[in-house]
Amino acid sequence: MYVRWWLLLIPPFVISFTLVAASQFVFLESSFFKDLGLGRIGDEFVLDNYVQFVTDSFFLRALWVTIKTSGLAALFTLILGFPVAYMIARMRSQWAMILLAGIVISTFITIVIKVYGLIVIFSANGMFNQALLGSGLASRPFSIFGNTSGVVIGLMHFTLGFGVLLLYSIVQTIPKSLEDAAQIHGAKRWRVYYRVIFPLALPGITAMLLMVFNMCMGAFTSAALLGGGRVFTLPVLIQRTVMMDIKYSLGATIAAVLLVSVIAINILSIFLVRRMRAAHLVMV
Amino acid sequence: MRFSRHRSTRLLGRLCFYAYCSLSYIFLLSPIVVVIATSLNGPSSTSEASFKFPPENLSLHWYWNIPSAQLEALGLSFGLALVSAIFACLLGVPAALGLVRSNLPGKALIAAVFRAPLQIPSIVTGIALLQLFYVIGDATGFYWQGTLLGLAIGHIFVATPFVVGTVTAILQRFDRRLEEAAVIHGATPWRALRRVTIPVIMPGVYAGALYAFMVSFGDVPIAIFLTAPGFVTYPVEIFYALENDFDPSLMASATLVIFICLLALLVVQKAVGLDALLKSGGTGSTR
Repeated sequence: MYVRWWLLLIPPFVISFTLVAASQFVFLESSFFKDLGLGRIGDEFVLDNYVQFVTDSFFLRALWVTIKTSGLAALFTLILGFPVAYMIARMRSQWAMILLAGIVISTFITIVIKVYGLIVIFSANGMFNQALLGSGLASRPFSIFGNTSGVVIGLMHFTLGFGVLLLYSIVQTIPKSLEDAAQIHGAKRWRVYYRVIFPLALPGITAMLLMVFNMCMGAFTSAALLGGGRVFTLPVLIQRTVMMDIKYSLGATIAAVLLVSVIAINILSIFLVRRMRAAHLVMV
Repeated sequence: MRFSRHRSTRLLGRLCFYAYCSLSYIFLLSPIVVVIATSLNGPSSTSEASFKFPPENLSLHWYWNIPSAQLEALGLSFGLALVSAIFACLLGVPAALGLVRSNLPGKALIAAVFRAPLQIPSIVTGIALLQLFYVIGDATGFYWQGTLLGLAIGHIFVATPFVVGTVTAILQRFDRRLEEAAVIHGATPWRALRRVTIPVIMPGVYAGALYAFMVSFGDVPIAIFLTAPGFVTYPVEIFYALENDFDPSLMASATLVIFICLLALLVVQKAVGLDALLKSGGTGSTR
């Protein structure tokens, strides 16, 4: 049976490619023209916008805040998510599916809705702050709006679900028998985690961290809502520059910097993982 | 004596582990629970009392007072999400079949193009499409932003990679001999595709369609640029509402959305099972 399967590729490929290439070209090209404000751009090919980005500490700070919040969100996703993924992957009962369903549901519900719940929970006289003040752990109410910890919490609301699902499939590939073997030979529980499970899961963990980091770098909604107009990550800045300041080419410049830094960080980390693997720091 | 102490420390360790794991669930699910519960607050004079949790004097008051703007936005979002899911499947299934079964030289590159919408931040996609629509509009006189067409293009664009991912995951495990057997028994290639291949990849299609639906239904960064005043999707509507005043009826409409999401998940679960959903998607789709 001979079927020309590649013919099937043509319509979706043409559509996807045209949309990616044409839209990115039109948008990113404008970053090389001087921004005259109010949506008008000059017609000379210049690097003014890029010069402005690298010389203005406001933009550089935004880049740093984006990297910092994304890194923290990825790290906390691992710390909170891995035990959950491990627990579900090693479960043999019906509960595993129910617990996974809980994760899936929470991932599917948009942060715009969750943010209302967060507002109620973290309001000055909401239950969280009542408990916090009542216990004497803090002297003033803790707010998650308009600060970086809020942005990290917001980011984690969509990364934690993805992280758990991903780590779940990774833990499933590690045979339980390896843990049993280690334990039979007298390894303590934490030693099994540290010397058996963690090294075997490390390539998967690295992939998860990278993916989550990527997602966070480009995340707009949660950063905008929880940043409350005070924390500026690059995606938030892009939206404000374009919609409020109506500076398209400056917005395009920020977008170009965002795209390039995401790609650069990815290449760097792939390179690092290779080096680690070559030095036998990572198994597999 | 020693034995029992050993056992109790293990039990304690296990309890701590479960308690720690439950933190993630509290973190993820508490905002949803709070939204549902708060929507049941009865009417009150101060806005503060409308956001009490746990709710006081339970009533469905706010459900009867959802402003029409929110309901219209909800209708638009629902329709848009359906359209996006359908078209994402129409584009994604042939793309996955072509990717897995052909052996073109630059296949990795083609796959990268199909994944690109997931790599590019949505906010960049949104503005870039808006700019493209301006260019097209200037050339043809027909502007796509603020129309269903423009919004659907944006959402189909980001939703298609999910279908490509889920269907590819299934096709890679698919035993081609099943098709060959059908052809040997006299089926035309088209009939073999329709009667053997399509039923096998159906779980992937359902899973991909669900992801596509959810991506469209919850999207802010793309829709924020492609909607127009009076023609707004639900997430964008409440995104703006958050910046302005805080209306208790939002909790009621948000609860409706939560139940629509649950319903969509339930439909897919009934059709192909949650197992198929997790095996074919979630992880594979975003890679």
